[in-house]
Amino acid sequence: MNILEEMKKRIVLFDGAMGTMLQRAGIGMGELPETWNLTHPDAVTQIHREYLNAGADIIGTNTFGANRLKYDGNPWKLEEIVDGAFRCAKKAVEESGHGAIALDLGPTGRLLKPMGDLDFEEAVSIYAEIVRLGVKSGAEAILIETMSDMYELKAAVLAAKENSDLPVFATSVFDESGKMLTGGTPKAMVAMLEGLRVDALGTNCSLGPVQMLKTARELVKYASVPVIVTPNAGLPRSENGTTVYDIDPEEFASAMKDMLDAGVSAVGGCCGTTPEHIRLLKKVTEGRRAPAITEKTETIVTSYAAAQTIGGQSVIVGERINPTGKKKMAQALRDKDYGYILDMALEQQNKGAHILDVNVGVPGTDEKAALCETISELQSITELPLEIDTSDFGAMEAAMRLYNGKPMVNSVSGKQESMDAVFPLVKKYGGVVVGLALDDDGIPVTADGRIRVARKIYQEAAKYGIPKKDIIIDCLCLTVSADRTGALVTLEALKRVHEELGGKTILGVSNISFGLPQRMIINQTFYTLALQNGLDAAIINPCADGMMRAYYSFRVLAAQDDNCEDFIRVYSGYRPPLPKGAVWEEDAERYLKEHGMPSEQNKGTLIEADRSGLKAGRKEGTAADAGGRSDPDKERMVMCVKKGLKEEAAKSAGRLLKIASALDIINECMIPALNDVGKDFETGKVFLPQLLMSAEAAKSAFEVLKDNMASSGESGEKRGAVILATVKGDIHDIGKNIVKVLLESYRFDVIDLGRDVPPETVVRTAIEKHVKLVGLSALMTTTVANMEETIRQLHEEAPSVKIMVGGAVMTESYAESIHADRYCRDAMASVEYAEEVFGPSH
Amino acid sequence: MQYFRGIQEVKAESILTYDPVHAPLKVSRREIFRYLGIRDGKPDPQTSSLVDSVVGELEKVIRPREFHQAYPLNVTGDERHTVDLGCFQTHSRSLEKNLRGCSEVIVFAATIGSGVDMLLRRYGLTEPSRGVVMQAASAAFIESWCDQINDRLKAALKEGLYLRPRFSPGYGDFPLEDQRDIFRALQVEKRVGIVLTESLLMLPSKSVTAVIGAGKEDLSCVREGCEVCRKADCLYRRNRL
Repeated sequence: MNILEEMKKRIVLFDGAMGTMLQRAGIGMGELPETWNLTHPDAVTQIHREYLNAGADIIGTNTFGANRLKYDGNPWKLEEIVDGAFRCAKKAVEESGHGAIALDLGPTGRLLKPMGDLDFEEAVSIYAEIVRLGVKSGAEAILIETMSDMYELKAAVLAAKENSDLPVFATSVFDESGKMLTGGTPKAMVAMLEGLRVDALGTNCSLGPVQMLKTARELVKYASVPVIVTPNAGLPRSENGTTVYDIDPEEFASAMKDMLDAGVSAVGGCCGTTPEHIRLLKKVTEGRRAPAITEKTETIVTSYAAAQTIGGQSVIVGERINPTGKKKMAQALRDKDYGYILDMALEQQNKGAHILDVNVGVPGTDEKAALCETISELQSITELPLEIDTSDFGAMEAAMRLYNGKPMVNSVSGKQESMDAVFPLVKKYGGVVVGLALDDDGIPVTADGRIRVARKIYQEAAKYGIPKKDIIIDCLCLTVSADRTGALVTLEALKRVHEELGGKTILGVSNISFGLPQRMIINQTFYTLALQNGLDAAIINPCADGMMRAYYSFRVLAAQDDNCEDFIRVYSGYRPPLPKGAVWEEDAERYLKEHGMPSEQNKGTLIEADRSGLKAGRKEGTAADAGGRSDPDKERMVMCVKKGLKEEAAKSAGRLLKIASALDIINECMIPALNDVGKDFETGKVFLPQLLMSAEAAKSAFEVLKDNMASSGESGEKRGAVILATVKGDIHDIGKNIVKVLLESYRFDVIDLGRDVPPETVVRTAIEKHVKLVGLSALMTTTVANMEETIRQLHEEAPSVKIMVGGAVMTESYAESIHADRYCRDAMASVEYAEEVFGPSH
Repeated sequence: MQYFRGIQEVKAESILTYDPVHAPLKVSRREIFRYLGIRDGKPDPQTSSLVDSVVGELEKVIRPREFHQAYPLNVTGDERHTVDLGCFQTHSRSLEKNLRGCSEVIVFAATIGSGVDMLLRRYGLTEPSRGVVMQAASAAFIESWCDQINDRLKAALKEGLYLRPRFSPGYGDFPLEDQRDIFRALQVEKRVGIVLTESLLMLPSKSVTAVIGAGKEDLSCVREGCEVCRKADCLYRRNRL
């Protein structure tokens, strides 16, 4: 039977539950169900036979949990288990005279990194092993089912695709709110799975047919491939120590009619369903023709959870994670300072970005590794979809593979070489790719020329089976100062991409103003014009006030902002942004009042922070005559750190720099303030949140001072490098992060190795970077052994390194017994020990 | 077995669903302050408003789920402190004490979902002060969810049966390794969406598995918190003197 052909003609019937039937056959509570393929092959065969006789077209092998994670250390070999499963299934098919056999794959039972501890490639390889065995044993299709995490789903589909040519079906678990356990929606799942070119997709388990209907409708709405629905026999309840399900076969079959009316192509049953359910279901499906499936045209990118449509209302792609022309970002990437990059991501998200562009190309660094790490880090802290932005095709492939969801990819061009490299990746991994309207002859000067290139890109993509919806054309713009019609050509081209090609458009807006003064003035007007001409996505800086004004006001005027809701939310109480270091006087006054700080003496509508001084009329001060704590600005600085006022601390630092050196500010304000807070923490007068807020405030002030030190040639050297790591097996890192921010506020250079760090990585880094102090954290009794091992290896290979340890399960005596140099009961203790090792600040 | 049926007859459902409209989880600020090590219950205004803001953010992302199953219980009283929980056997002096006199046991797994973990990670890396408060507040939320489950199980009990304080693997000498058995018996991964790491941590991190004994004796402390722990000098201990 050709399953896919059959699905085009009629409703295809899957089987019902295997687990439920094995329980009926008497499988024990602790037994691994798949072992029955070898110990009780007749029982397994009998179950398959009953389903086939009930009318099932496709049966799934008894291999749901057959993977090396569950079978490692078990006397049964996976190969035997899988082969046994197929022997049972084949025998049943032979005897019944019909039926196709699908290799059944369930979840691994582990959560993938970065949220869990299983490596993505490890997950792929676990599934690949089973797929290869299944192919060898004669599988006719691969059924990936009961998946509750998009990332694991992607790993399984990739493994199936890379190790077989069989049809691949994938179904996931959604709860009643229509979400997967890690947050994925039907829309997001469809987008990702169709990008990975599955042959059919759907939902199974968790709910009964009644509760599942809503999700089934969603799937049908977005899918361009057949939808499979295999619900449970209702909801579970306890009966005499076992779980039973609450609707009978008649109710089940009758409820499934609604599914078929909703347009699903294949049905079957999950937990609690029996051959009787399938028999009655068969009656319902009989004589029904396959639903017509239309090709959907919505352009969708996703993260691991959220889906973003491109088309209709224009979306904003935040451009700031890009080192081009940004010294600080380049440095952060070189230092692997993910804190800086993540801050930038969140700032853009808060300002209204829908997608974040990620470009990490810094000369002299390993772009592939950096891109993968950055994407993984970003996906652990934001639900926004990302745009993978690189011209290095190797890095592009690695990132597309690792990405959790369906990414946006920047970019392909009309150059043959580019299309030959990028389209195979889009075909394999899925994605919405930006198509640049340029080819081997450069950027065409006319709109005609750019449309021609766009057409070529679409045509070439079609050869790979990549639909038009997955290409988004960048019409590009030539700087208007060099070409007076630059803007007009772009606007015409993007309008024609819509009208003539039925395509979607994206634009990096700011190129237009290159070479002109006050570029923002041009940019925001050009952005408005582009929006008016139907621009679907703009790559802009969402933190630039002018661009967002253009965006929000356009939406009001174009009747896209109902009741002007968004505009009112963003702009009631709006005040234009101030130059760096300046502050509105009323704010200053309010802070003074609220926090009892010494008052400013001069008045004005705006406190200026230009180079001539803090305010008109202020005398030039020196560090010496402003040295005492009585100086109001310094007093303010101290108070800002003590009260943990992050923004205000940075502003205070900016102001203070006019009258004092950075080192003086650190030594006379920040360190004493931090010490005071630290003492209060130790005596129980302030608590951890306040301590951290102070440290964060000091850190933000220090960022301002650091720039100044670098430019004035003052010694901005940090005080020494400290490695921090949460040991192997431990993935909770709050304690380590607390220590990190405190050490950084005391200007130690923290090398944060993250969570779940193998001993070898700690040792290697300590040796490579000549580190004097290592801090290790462990939260669980089960992982303290790994801490001990890390210490052992450090002592052996880097004997001069000092080691401090902490964490929920650690005690003074235990630390001693595993040969740590110091037990730190809290974060302040780690600062004290660091000062001891490196000598106090001066 | 008689009492076992007692639970079964009344408590038919294996899943208690969360109703954010009619029975939203309430968390006590005092409890959150305790988790933060603020002992007199009076934080400064900044911390206090941080707690409010974090609680508001969490209310939007929590997705409480649970699954439970009742089993016949046999506390053998043998030398090895064997406790037969119906779905698995274990050896634990403290569990034996907790369940003494009970004839059946409810095994449950509960979580407030994975959205919380993303926020914990986000703030842990970018704003640790908020991260710390979120740790405390989300701990209070999962406790509150477990309390609600406890109360609903109690309300559904047959008259004459009483619940013991819930007891989790890792408490006292109740082996953490038993997590694997609980996960297998309840199919926790599939039904609740919690997974175990190699080192037996639960993910989402704000999750609880526990057993609750049911017996004829009314020991009048259905809910018991950390007082059961012998680490009496713990900084976070409830009702610490």
